Amino acid sequence: MRHFRTLLAHELRSAAVSWNTWAAAGLFLALMGGIHFFALVEGSRAPSDRTPVESTLWFFWLPLLCVLPLLTMRTFAEERRSGTLAALLTTPASAAAVVWAKFLSTWIVWVVFWLLFTLFPFLTVQRLGTPGDLRLGDPSILWGGLCFIAVSGLLHVAIGILCSCVTRSSALAALLAFISLLAMTAAGGALESLPIESWEWLGWLREPAAHLRTFGHLQDFAAGILDSRPIVLYGTGTLLCLGLAILSVEGQE
Amino acid sequence: MNEAAPLPEAAVVAEKLTKRYGSLTAVEDLSFSVAPGEIVGFLGPNGAGKSTTMRILSGTMSGTSGRASIWGVSVALDPAGAKRHLAYMPENNPLPEELRVEEYLTLRARLKDVDPARVDERVRKVMDDCDLTRRASGRLIGQLSKGFRQRVGIADALLAEPRVVILDEPTIGLDPHQILGIRDLIRSLRGKMAVLISSHILHEVEQVCDKVVIINRGRLVAQGRTEDLRRELLPEASFTVVTRADEAALLAACRATEPAATVSALPSAEGWNSFRIALPAGSAARETLAGALIAAGITLREIAEDRFGLEDIFLAATRRAPGEVRRP
Repeated sequence: MRHFRTLLAHELRSAAVSWNTWAAAGLFLALMGGIHFFALVEGSRAPSDRTPVESTLWFFWLPLLCVLPLLTMRTFAEERRSGTLAALLTTPASAAAVVWAKFLSTWIVWVVFWLLFTLFPFLTVQRLGTPGDLRLGDPSILWGGLCFIAVSGLLHVAIGILCSCVTRSSALAALLAFISLLAMTAAGGALESLPIESWEWLGWLREPAAHLRTFGHLQDFAAGILDSRPIVLYGTGTLLCLGLAILSVEGQE
Repeated sequence: MNEAAPLPEAAVVAEKLTKRYGSLTAVEDLSFSVAPGEIVGFLGPNGAGKSTTMRILSGTMSGTSGRASIWGVSVALDPAGAKRHLAYMPENNPLPEELRVEEYLTLRARLKDVDPARVDERVRKVMDDCDLTRRASGRLIGQLSKGFRQRVGIADALLAEPRVVILDEPTIGLDPHQILGIRDLIRSLRGKMAVLISSHILHEVEQVCDKVVIINRGRLVAQGRTEDLRRELLPEASFTVVTRADEAALLAACRATEPAATVSALPSAEGWNSFRIALPAGSAARETLAGALIAAGITLREIAEDRFGLEDIFLAATRRAPGEVRRP
């Protein structure tokens, strides 16, 4: 992992000056701003079990599917297409250092996007809230939800990075990431909705399905419940995806 | 420059290198070496396997079999160790468009383990050497002309003062002035670094290189100094003669000294006739032809031995079968 810090600094700088990042940031803030606005409007019309922040976070899958692939698609696909990845690998920098640097920089950008999102509830509370009333922007729900985004984001970014490693086309990488993230997000719910009870031979699926319920994880994090199982799931999934990405970069010819 | 390791016998060694893509063999049983400080031209027709060989040597591609080493370090067993002695500029010289020249070279210097205290100094030095300081240092790479991009690629190759530099078509797309500049730059590396350079501009290779390696269809067809290859591949001698005599008289005079000599007419001008006289390989008449013609009463305005260029050597080498190669 020599040169990791050099590569990470370079990747962060490249992300900061890339039109791609700014376009993704604009799209992200427009999406989340819109969702938060409608959550506030909806909350003002009728009583709800969820606060506007909770309702907004519930739509985390929308930027996950629409914005994250934009961030990850060019990481390797574009460099493979232009040949700069091969040129980078002629230096003593290892494939692992390259993959980890790109992964971590993308994850940092993703987390920064979500931190920018906190401006919406913050401004809402500032402008519309009354002192002591947490309904417009309960910080525990907000930060719990953001913790979920950060932890699950490790795996989501790693999936996007892996998708970008296996093709030279950024568009195809984005499509692959979209499909993989959609499957990842919906898998738990889809498996749980299967009539597993009536099919005895599918009984073994019950437990994995329970582990994969992404929205359940969000709910737990937002409620302040710290369960080690999703952390292990996202952690091991991240390591697996990055391991495959490193193999893919090492094997590129 | 890295000072620790003792000087190896060869800076670059390719030993029975083979690369297959399914049923297609791109490189087969290719063996050659480059001595420390030597500049070697790596030639071959399009699709001969030059870039594949260079990529294997640079560690960006693995060979199917055989051995490649850089400064005594196996590229397959210790790729990071080999890369520490090597700089490789690929054929299309891919560069990140969004970086400025100085930023890019600074990044590459750090990745190439240049002493952090010397990074700025090295970047300035290679930018000066490659004539980038004045006109390109602050510009985005994406805005540079082809010539300046090539210079950036070469500057990158020289940054860490490697033992071995591999340049794949470094002058492709450059204008004559730029080619001259790059040629002088490469020539200045003689004795300091081992340079393996592929180029389609044979005149340029002849000007710069100590030795050439010629491959065809992935196999070695010739290697050695240009003079040695000239003697090996083109042993016959040829003279251009400008004279008042006609072809029959000239042929008779030539045959008197070398019975196997042939004469062919060349375009003539200003009342003078031009001919090409070909002598077989090893003919003693090569040394005495001019005297023999004068003695035979032929009026000569001009007589000169044709010098076969690298182009002729290249054509002769790529025409012959790979099995005919003589190893030095």
